[in-house]
Amino acid sequence: MIYLDSAATSFQKPDSVRAAVVRAFAEMSSPGRGGYPAAMRAADMVLECRTELQELFRVQTPEQVVFTMNATHALNIAVKSLVPPEGHAVISGYEHNAVTRPLHALNASVTVARAPLFDPEKTVAAFREAIVPGTDAVICNHVSNVFGYAQPVEEIAALCRERQVPLIIDASQSAGILLLDCRVLGAAFVAMPGHKGLCGPQGTGVLICGESAPLRPLLEGGTGSRSAEQEMPDFLPDRLEAGTQNVPGIAGLLAGVRFVRARGLARICTHERYLAASAAAGLRSVPGVQVFAGEGLFAQTGVLSFRSEKIDPDTLGNRLSQRGIAVRTGLHCAPLAHKTAGTFETGTVRASFSFFNTEAEVFRLVEAVEEILREKS
Amino acid sequence: MEQYLVIARSVTHAQRLERLLARAGIRAQIYHAPLELNGGRGCAYAVQFRCRDLRSVLHMIYGADLGPVQVYSCGEGQYREVQV
Repeated sequence: MIYLDSAATSFQKPDSVRAAVVRAFAEMSSPGRGGYPAAMRAADMVLECRTELQELFRVQTPEQVVFTMNATHALNIAVKSLVPPEGHAVISGYEHNAVTRPLHALNASVTVARAPLFDPEKTVAAFREAIVPGTDAVICNHVSNVFGYAQPVEEIAALCRERQVPLIIDASQSAGILLLDCRVLGAAFVAMPGHKGLCGPQGTGVLICGESAPLRPLLEGGTGSRSAEQEMPDFLPDRLEAGTQNVPGIAGLLAGVRFVRARGLARICTHERYLAASAAAGLRSVPGVQVFAGEGLFAQTGVLSFRSEKIDPDTLGNRLSQRGIAVRTGLHCAPLAHKTAGTFETGTVRASFSFFNTEAEVFRLVEAVEEILREKS
Repeated sequence: MEQYLVIARSVTHAQRLERLLARAGIRAQIYHAPLELNGGRGCAYAVQFRCRDLRSVLHMIYGADLGPVQVYSCGEGQYREVQV
Protein backbone atom coordinates (compact mmCIF):
# COMPACT_ATOMS: atom_id res chain seq x y z
CA MET A 1 0.00 0.00 0.00
CA ILE A 2 1.11 3.54 -0.72
CA TYR A 3 0.01 5.40 2.39
CA LEU A 4 -0.81 9.05 1.74
CA ASP A 5 -3.03 9.78 4.73
CA SER A 6 -0.52 10.97 7.31
CA ALA A 7 -2.65 14.04 8.04
CA ALA A 8 -5.13 11.60 9.63
CA THR A 9 -2.52 9.48 11.37
CA SER A 10 1.03 8.57 10.51
CA PHE A 11 0.83 4.87 9.70
CA GLN A 12 4.48 4.15 9.02
CA LYS A 13 6.06 4.48 12.45
CA PRO A 14 9.73 4.16 13.28
CA ASP A 15 10.67 0.67 14.55
CA SER A 16 11.72 2.26 17.84
CA VAL A 17 8.09 3.26 18.49
CA ARG A 18 6.85 -0.32 18.25
CA ALA A 19 9.71 -1.55 20.44
CA ALA A 20 9.01 1.10 23.08
CA VAL A 21 5.32 0.15 23.26
CA VAL A 22 6.19 -3.53 23.74
CA ARG A 23 8.81 -2.67 26.37
CA ALA A 24 6.31 -0.55 28.29
CA PHE A 25 3.87 -3.47 28.43
CA ALA A 26 6.60 -5.70 29.80
CA GLU A 27 8.24 -3.36 32.29
CA MET A 28 5.96 -0.52 33.37
CA SER A 29 2.84 -0.19 35.48
CA SER A 30 1.31 3.20 36.17
CA PRO A 31 3.01 6.47 37.17
CA GLY A 32 1.90 8.21 40.33
CA ARG A 33 0.41 5.06 41.77
CA GLY A 34 3.25 3.79 43.92
CA GLY A 35 6.94 3.97 44.68
CA TYR A 36 7.81 0.43 43.54
CA PRO A 37 10.11 -0.10 40.54
CA ALA A 38 7.47 -0.80 37.86
CA ALA A 39 5.56 2.39 38.80
CA MET A 40 8.74 4.45 38.97
CA ARG A 41 9.96 3.14 35.60
CA ALA A 42 6.64 4.32 34.15
CA ALA A 43 6.97 7.67 35.92
CA ASP A 44 10.54 8.14 34.68
CA MET A 45 9.52 7.37 31.10
CA VAL A 46 6.54 9.76 31.29
CA LEU A 47 8.75 12.55 32.64
CA GLU A 48 11.28 11.85 29.87
CA CYS A 49 8.53 12.30 27.32
CA ARG A 50 7.36 15.54 28.93
CA THR A 51 10.94 16.78 28.94
CA GLU A 52 11.54 15.91 25.27
CA LEU A 53 8.33 17.76 24.34
CA GLN A 54 9.29 20.67 26.62
CA GLU A 55 12.56 21.01 24.71
CA LEU A 56 11.00 20.53 21.27
CA PHE A 57 8.34 23.19 21.87
CA ARG A 58 10.52 25.37 24.11
CA VAL A 59 8.20 25.29 27.09
CA GLN A 60 9.31 26.64 30.47
CA THR A 61 8.70 23.52 32.59
CA PRO A 62 7.84 19.87 31.90
CA GLU A 63 4.72 20.15 34.09
CA GLN A 64 3.19 22.40 31.42
CA VAL A 65 3.16 19.41 29.05
CA VAL A 66 -0.10 17.53 29.66
CA PHE A 67 -0.92 14.17 28.10
CA THR A 68 -4.34 13.68 26.55
CA MET A 69 -6.08 11.02 24.45
CA ASN A 70 -5.69 13.00 21.23
CA ALA A 71 -5.73 16.57 19.92
CA THR A 72 -9.54 16.75 20.15
CA HIS A 73 -9.34 16.02 23.87
CA ALA A 74 -6.62 18.65 24.26
CA LEU A 75 -8.60 21.24 22.28
CA ASN A 76 -11.73 20.57 24.35
CA ILE A 77 -9.80 21.31 27.55
CA ALA A 78 -8.34 24.47 26.03
CA VAL A 79 -11.60 25.79 24.57
CA LYS A 80 -13.62 25.03 27.70
CA SER A 81 -10.98 26.60 29.95
CA LEU A 82 -11.15 29.90 28.09
CA VAL A 83 -14.56 30.27 26.50
CA PRO A 84 -17.53 30.44 28.87
CA PRO A 85 -21.01 29.38 27.74
CA GLU A 86 -22.24 31.99 25.23
CA GLY A 87 -18.78 33.57 25.20
CA HIS A 88 -17.06 34.99 22.13
CA ALA A 89 -14.36 33.27 20.10
CA VAL A 90 -12.51 34.30 16.96
CA ILE A 91 -11.40 31.40 14.78
CA SER A 92 -9.71 31.05 11.42
CA GLY A 93 -11.68 29.96 8.38
CA TYR A 94 -9.79 26.66 8.32
CA GLU A 95 -10.70 25.17 11.69
CA HIS A 96 -11.53 21.52 12.29
CA ASN A 97 -14.68 20.20 13.96
CA ALA A 98 -12.49 19.58 17.02
CA VAL A 99 -12.65 23.36 17.49
CA THR A 100 -16.04 24.26 16.04
CA ARG A 101 -18.07 21.53 17.76
CA PRO A 102 -16.94 22.41 21.31
CA LEU A 103 -17.75 26.07 20.53
CA HIS A 104 -21.16 25.01 19.22
CA ALA A 105 -21.75 22.99 22.39
CA LEU A 106 -20.94 26.10 24.44
CA ASN A 107 -23.40 28.10 22.33
CA ALA A 108 -20.53 30.51 21.80
CA SER A 109 -20.71 33.46 19.48
CA VAL A 110 -18.09 32.69 16.84
CA THR A 111 -16.50 35.18 14.47
CA VAL A 112 -14.71 33.55 11.58
CA ALA A 113 -11.63 35.45 10.44
CA ARG A 114 -12.14 34.43 6.84
CA ALA A 115 -9.28 34.83 4.37
CA PRO A 116 -8.34 33.26 1.06
CA LEU A 117 -6.13 30.18 0.97
CA PHE A 118 -2.38 30.76 1.11
CA ASP A 119 -2.73 34.47 1.85
CA PRO A 120 -1.05 35.19 5.20
CA GLU A 121 -1.45 38.97 4.97
CA LYS A 122 -5.20 38.79 4.51
CA THR A 123 -5.36 36.15 7.24
CA VAL A 124 -3.73 38.47 9.78
CA ALA A 125 -5.91 41.37 8.62
CA ALA A 126 -9.03 39.24 9.10
CA PHE A 127 -8.00 38.41 12.68
CA ARG A 128 -7.20 42.06 13.35
CA GLU A 129 -10.72 43.00 12.35
CA ALA A 130 -12.45 40.10 14.11
CA ILE A 131 -10.91 40.49 17.58
CA VAL A 132 -13.01 42.90 19.63
CA PRO A 133 -13.10 43.94 23.28
CA GLY A 134 -14.68 41.03 25.15
CA THR A 135 -13.33 38.31 22.86
CA ASP A 136 -12.65 35.36 25.17
CA ALA A 137 -10.23 33.47 22.94
CA VAL A 138 -8.66 33.31 19.50
CA ILE A 139 -8.29 29.83 18.03
CA CYS A 140 -6.19 29.09 14.99
CA ASN A 141 -4.63 26.01 13.50
CA HIS A 142 -1.00 26.24 12.52
CA VAL A 143 -1.63 24.24 9.37
CA SER A 144 -4.96 23.44 7.71
CA ASN A 145 -5.69 19.71 7.76
CA VAL A 146 -7.40 20.01 4.37
CA PHE A 147 -5.13 22.27 2.37
CA GLY A 148 -1.82 22.25 4.22
CA TYR A 149 -1.99 26.04 4.42
CA ALA A 150 0.61 27.17 6.98
CA GLN A 151 -1.17 30.02 8.73
CA PRO A 152 0.87 32.96 10.07
CA VAL A 153 0.56 31.96 13.74
CA GLU A 154 3.53 34.06 14.84
CA GLU A 155 1.81 37.24 13.60
CA ILE A 156 -1.55 36.13 14.99
CA ALA A 157 0.12 35.42 18.35
CA ALA A 158 1.69 38.89 18.33
CA LEU A 159 -1.72 40.39 17.62
CA CYS A 160 -3.24 38.41 20.51
CA ARG A 161 -0.50 39.59 22.88
CA GLU A 162 -1.10 43.18 21.77
CA ARG A 163 -4.87 42.87 22.33
CA GLN A 164 -4.40 40.72 25.47
CA VAL A 165 -6.64 37.95 24.20
CA PRO A 166 -5.64 34.35 24.95
CA LEU A 167 -4.67 32.25 21.95
CA ILE A 168 -5.19 28.54 21.35
CA ILE A 169 -3.05 27.02 18.62
CA ASP A 170 -4.14 23.75 17.06
CA ALA A 171 -0.83 22.21 16.05
CA SER A 172 -2.37 18.97 14.81
CA GLN A 173 -0.77 19.21 11.39
CA SER A 174 2.45 20.96 12.35
CA ALA A 175 3.72 19.21 15.49
CA GLY A 176 6.85 17.35 14.49
CA ILE A 177 7.06 19.24 11.20
CA LEU A 178 7.23 22.99 11.84
CA LEU A 179 8.91 24.83 14.67
CA LEU A 180 6.67 26.25 17.40
CA ASP A 181 8.45 28.23 20.10
CA CYS A 182 6.01 28.51 22.98
CA ARG A 183 8.11 31.06 24.88
CA VAL A 184 7.99 33.43 21.92
CA LEU A 185 4.35 32.79 20.98
CA GLY A 186 2.96 33.20 24.49
CA ALA A 187 -0.12 31.16 23.59
CA ALA A 188 -2.47 30.11 26.37
CA PHE A 189 -2.61 26.58 24.94
CA VAL A 190 -1.06 24.56 22.13
CA ALA A 191 -2.90 21.31 21.33
CA MET A 192 -1.58 18.45 19.23
CA PRO A 193 -1.97 14.76 18.54
CA GLY A 194 0.85 12.37 19.35
CA HIS A 195 0.03 10.05 16.47
CA LYS A 196 0.66 12.27 13.44
CA GLY A 197 3.89 14.17 12.87
CA LEU A 198 5.26 13.15 16.27
CA CYS A 199 5.09 9.49 15.11
CA GLY A 200 3.54 8.17 18.34
CA PRO A 201 0.74 5.63 18.65
CA GLN A 202 -2.94 6.43 18.19
CA GLY A 203 -4.58 7.39 21.49
CA THR A 204 -1.92 9.92 22.40
CA GLY A 205 -2.24 13.70 22.45
CA VAL A 206 -0.57 16.64 24.12
CA LEU A 207 -1.75 19.93 25.55
CA ILE A 208 0.89 22.53 26.27
CA CYS A 209 -0.37 25.02 28.83
CA GLY A 210 0.82 28.59 28.99
CA GLU A 211 2.10 29.80 32.32
CA SER A 212 -0.95 31.81 33.29
CA ALA A 213 -3.66 29.93 31.44
CA PRO A 214 -6.81 29.18 33.43
CA LEU A 215 -7.18 25.40 33.69
CA ARG A 216 -10.58 23.76 33.66
CA PRO A 217 -10.40 19.97 33.89
CA LEU A 218 -12.54 18.09 31.40
CA LEU A 219 -12.34 14.95 33.53
CA GLU A 220 -12.18 14.66 37.29
CA GLY A 221 -10.80 11.63 39.07
CA GLY A 222 -7.73 10.02 40.57
CA THR A 223 -4.37 11.63 40.06
CA GLY A 224 -2.25 9.88 42.69
CA SER A 225 -1.87 13.20 44.49
CA ARG A 226 -3.82 15.01 47.25
CA SER A 227 -6.25 12.12 47.24
CA ALA A 228 -7.94 13.12 50.48
CA GLU A 229 -9.29 16.24 48.78
CA GLN A 230 -12.31 16.25 46.47
CA GLU A 231 -11.17 19.22 44.40
CA MET A 232 -8.83 18.39 41.55
CA PRO A 233 -5.23 19.43 42.39
CA ASP A 234 -4.52 23.03 41.43
CA PHE A 235 -1.13 22.19 39.91
CA LEU A 236 -0.03 20.78 36.59
CA PRO A 237 0.05 18.22 35.13
CA ASP A 238 -2.20 16.52 37.69
CA ARG A 239 -5.03 19.02 37.34
CA LEU A 240 -5.66 17.93 33.75
CA GLU A 241 -4.58 14.28 33.93
CA ALA A 242 -7.27 12.38 35.82
CA GLY A 243 -7.22 8.59 35.57
CA THR A 244 -4.61 6.09 34.50
CA GLN A 245 -2.16 7.27 31.89
CA ASN A 246 -1.73 5.58 28.51
CA VAL A 247 1.73 4.32 29.44
CA PRO A 248 2.40 2.20 26.32
CA GLY A 249 1.15 5.08 24.18
CA ILE A 250 3.35 7.64 25.90
CA ALA A 251 6.34 5.26 25.65
CA GLY A 252 5.73 5.04 21.90
CA LEU A 253 5.31 8.80 21.72
CA LEU A 254 8.63 9.30 23.50
CA ALA A 255 10.33 7.13 20.88
CA GLY A 256 8.51 9.04 18.15
CA VAL A 257 9.56 12.44 19.49
CA ARG A 258 13.16 11.24 19.77
CA PHE A 259 12.99 10.06 16.17
CA VAL A 260 11.69 13.46 15.06
CA ARG A 261 14.32 15.37 17.04
CA ALA A 262 17.11 13.15 15.73
CA ARG A 263 16.02 13.75 12.10
CA GLY A 264 15.32 17.44 12.69
CA LEU A 265 12.18 19.39 11.88
CA ALA A 266 13.77 21.17 8.93
CA ARG A 267 14.74 17.92 7.20
CA ILE A 268 11.33 16.34 7.78
CA CYS A 269 9.44 19.44 6.66
CA THR A 270 11.57 19.96 3.56
CA HIS A 271 11.03 16.36 2.48
CA GLU A 272 7.26 16.55 2.96
CA ARG A 273 7.02 19.92 1.25
CA TYR A 274 9.06 18.63 -1.67
CA LEU A 275 6.74 15.65 -2.11
CA ALA A 276 3.63 17.86 -1.92
CA ALA A 277 5.11 20.29 -4.45
CA SER A 278 6.00 17.37 -6.78
CA ALA A 279 2.49 15.97 -6.46
CA ALA A 280 0.98 19.41 -7.13
CA ALA A 281 3.08 19.85 -10.26
CA GLY A 282 2.25 16.34 -11.49
CA LEU A 283 -1.49 16.58 -10.81
CA ARG A 284 -1.68 20.03 -12.44
CA SER A 285 -0.50 18.44 -15.66
CA VAL A 286 -3.46 16.01 -15.64
CA PRO A 287 -6.34 17.49 -17.63
CA GLY A 288 -9.43 18.27 -15.57
CA VAL A 289 -7.70 18.25 -12.19
CA GLN A 290 -7.88 21.26 -9.89
CA VAL A 291 -5.05 21.42 -7.39
CA PHE A 292 -5.04 23.58 -4.26
CA ALA A 293 -1.42 24.55 -3.85
CA GLY A 294 0.26 27.68 -2.61
CA GLU A 295 2.96 29.66 -4.34
CA GLY A 296 6.42 29.05 -2.94
CA LEU A 297 7.64 26.45 -0.51
CA PHE A 298 6.60 28.09 2.74
CA ALA A 299 2.89 28.51 2.11
CA GLN A 300 2.13 24.84 2.51
CA THR A 301 3.30 21.67 4.24
CA GLY A 302 2.96 18.10 2.98
CA VAL A 303 -0.84 18.18 2.78
CA LEU A 304 -2.39 18.59 -0.67
CA SER A 305 -6.02 18.73 -1.77
CA PHE A 306 -7.27 18.25 -5.30
CA ARG A 307 -10.46 17.42 -7.16
CA SER A 308 -11.64 16.72 -10.69
CA GLU A 309 -14.66 17.85 -12.61
CA LYS A 310 -14.83 14.35 -14.19
CA ILE A 311 -15.31 12.30 -11.05
CA ASP A 312 -16.41 12.99 -7.49
CA PRO A 313 -13.69 12.88 -4.81
CA ASP A 314 -15.10 9.85 -3.00
CA THR A 315 -15.23 7.73 -6.16
CA LEU A 316 -11.75 8.90 -7.09
CA GLY A 317 -10.54 7.97 -3.60
CA ASN A 318 -12.14 4.53 -3.87
CA ARG A 319 -10.50 3.93 -7.26
CA LEU A 320 -7.14 4.97 -5.83
CA SER A 321 -7.71 2.57 -2.94
CA GLN A 322 -8.35 -0.26 -5.45
CA ARG A 323 -4.94 0.59 -6.88
CA GLY A 324 -3.32 0.39 -3.45
CA ILE A 325 -3.14 4.11 -2.73
CA ALA A 326 -4.61 5.35 0.56
CA VAL A 327 -5.92 8.92 0.54
CA ARG A 328 -8.68 10.72 2.41
CA THR A 329 -11.72 12.16 0.66
CA GLY A 330 -14.77 14.23 1.59
CA LEU A 331 -14.87 17.09 4.06
CA HIS A 332 -12.03 15.88 6.33
CA CYS A 333 -14.02 16.80 9.49
CA ALA A 334 -13.43 20.42 8.51
CA PRO A 335 -16.58 21.69 6.76
CA LEU A 336 -15.62 25.26 7.67
CA ALA A 337 -12.32 24.95 5.78
CA HIS A 338 -14.16 23.70 2.71
CA LYS A 339 -16.71 26.52 2.97
CA THR A 340 -13.89 29.06 3.19
CA ALA A 341 -12.09 27.60 0.18
CA GLY A 342 -15.27 27.07 -1.85
CA THR A 343 -15.05 23.27 -1.95
CA PHE A 344 -17.88 22.47 0.46
CA GLU A 345 -20.23 21.16 -2.23
CA THR A 346 -17.82 18.53 -3.52
CA GLY A 347 -15.15 18.05 -0.89
CA THR A 348 -11.69 17.15 -2.11
CA VAL A 349 -9.23 14.29 -2.33
CA ARG A 350 -6.40 14.83 0.12
CA ALA A 351 -2.97 13.32 -0.23
CA SER A 352 -0.79 13.89 2.82
CA PHE A 353 2.84 12.91 2.94
CA SER A 354 5.18 11.82 5.69
CA PHE A 355 8.91 11.48 6.10
CA PHE A 356 8.56 7.84 5.00
CA ASN A 357 7.00 8.57 1.59
CA THR A 358 9.11 8.62 -1.55
CA GLU A 359 9.09 10.48 -4.83
CA ALA A 360 8.29 7.20 -6.61
CA GLU A 361 5.06 7.02 -4.60
CA VAL A 362 4.17 10.54 -5.69
CA PHE A 363 4.70 9.56 -9.34
CA ARG A 364 2.48 6.50 -8.81
CA LEU A 365 -0.27 8.72 -7.36
CA VAL A 366 -0.16 11.06 -10.35
CA GLU A 367 -0.07 8.14 -12.77
CA ALA A 368 -3.04 6.47 -11.04
CA VAL A 369 -5.14 9.65 -11.11
CA GLU A 370 -4.33 10.00 -14.80
CA GLU A 371 -5.37 6.38 -15.49
CA ILE A 372 -8.64 6.72 -13.54
CA LEU A 373 -9.62 9.93 -15.32
CA ARG A 374 -8.68 8.44 -18.70
CA GLU A 375 -10.94 5.43 -18.02
CA LYS A 376 -13.72 7.84 -17.04
CA SER A 377 -13.53 9.73 -20.31
CA MET B 1 25.19 13.67 57.47
CA GLU B 2 21.54 14.12 58.30
CA GLN B 3 18.77 12.37 56.43
CA TYR B 4 15.86 14.44 55.14
CA LEU B 5 12.53 13.87 53.47
CA VAL B 6 11.02 16.46 51.17
CA ILE B 7 7.30 16.10 50.50
CA ALA B 8 6.46 16.67 46.86
CA ARG B 9 3.00 17.53 45.61
CA SER B 10 3.05 14.93 42.81
CA VAL B 11 5.23 12.25 41.31
CA THR B 12 6.34 14.71 38.60
CA HIS B 13 7.37 17.22 41.26
CA ALA B 14 9.23 14.48 43.15
CA GLN B 15 11.07 13.42 40.01
CA ARG B 16 12.12 16.96 39.25
CA LEU B 17 13.42 17.37 42.81
CA GLU B 18 15.31 14.07 42.53
CA ARG B 19 16.92 15.16 39.25
CA LEU B 20 17.83 18.56 40.62
CA LEU B 21 19.54 16.94 43.60
CA ALA B 22 21.31 14.45 41.32
CA ARG B 23 22.74 17.33 39.29
CA ALA B 24 24.17 18.69 42.53
CA GLY B 25 25.71 15.30 43.30
CA ILE B 26 23.14 14.36 45.95
CA ARG B 27 21.73 10.88 45.58
CA ALA B 28 18.03 10.83 46.40
CA GLN B 29 15.26 8.25 46.41
CA ILE B 30 11.56 8.68 45.76
CA TYR B 31 9.02 7.04 48.05
CA HIS B 32 5.28 7.12 48.40
CA ALA B 33 5.04 9.51 51.35
CA PRO B 34 3.59 8.45 54.71
CA LEU B 35 0.06 9.92 54.89
CA GLU B 36 0.74 11.59 58.24
CA LEU B 37 3.39 13.81 56.64
CA ASN B 38 1.14 15.39 54.07
CA GLY B 39 -1.10 17.44 56.33
CA GLY B 40 -4.11 15.18 55.75
CA ARG B 41 -4.18 15.91 52.03
CA GLY B 42 -3.72 12.30 50.96
CA CYS B 43 -1.33 10.65 48.53
CA ALA B 44 2.00 12.32 47.88
CA TYR B 45 5.57 11.44 47.14
CA ALA B 46 8.63 12.00 49.28
CA VAL B 47 12.20 12.52 48.17
CA GLN B 48 14.72 11.20 50.67
CA PHE B 49 18.35 12.26 50.72
CA ARG B 50 21.29 12.89 53.00
CA CYS B 51 23.16 16.16 53.13
CA ARG B 52 25.34 18.28 55.38
CA ASP B 53 23.88 21.67 54.50
CA LEU B 54 20.11 21.70 54.19
CA ARG B 55 19.98 25.46 53.74
CA SER B 56 21.94 25.33 50.50
CA VAL B 57 19.77 22.45 49.24
CA LEU B 58 16.62 24.44 49.99
CA HIS B 59 18.15 27.47 48.31
CA MET B 60 18.69 25.33 45.23
CA ILE B 61 15.13 23.93 45.32
CA TYR B 62 13.53 27.34 45.63
CA GLY B 63 15.94 28.79 43.08
CA ALA B 64 14.75 26.20 40.57
CA ASP B 65 11.15 27.25 41.24
CA LEU B 66 10.36 23.87 42.79
CA GLY B 67 9.10 25.22 46.11
CA PRO B 68 7.27 25.47 48.36
CA VAL B 69 8.12 22.17 50.01
CA GLN B 70 7.65 20.58 53.40
CA VAL B 71 10.83 19.11 54.87
CA TYR B 72 11.30 16.52 57.60
CA SER B 73 14.44 15.27 59.20
CA CYS B 74 14.26 11.56 59.75
CA GLY B 75 16.01 8.97 61.86
CA GLU B 76 15.08 5.87 63.86
CA GLY B 77 11.62 5.84 62.28
CA GLN B 78 10.83 9.33 63.58
CA TYR B 79 10.04 12.39 61.48
CA ARG B 80 10.53 15.92 62.69
CA GLU B 81 9.32 18.84 60.58
CA VAL B 82 12.02 21.34 59.72
CA GLN B 83 10.90 24.96 59.52
CA VAL B 84 11.71 26.18 56.01
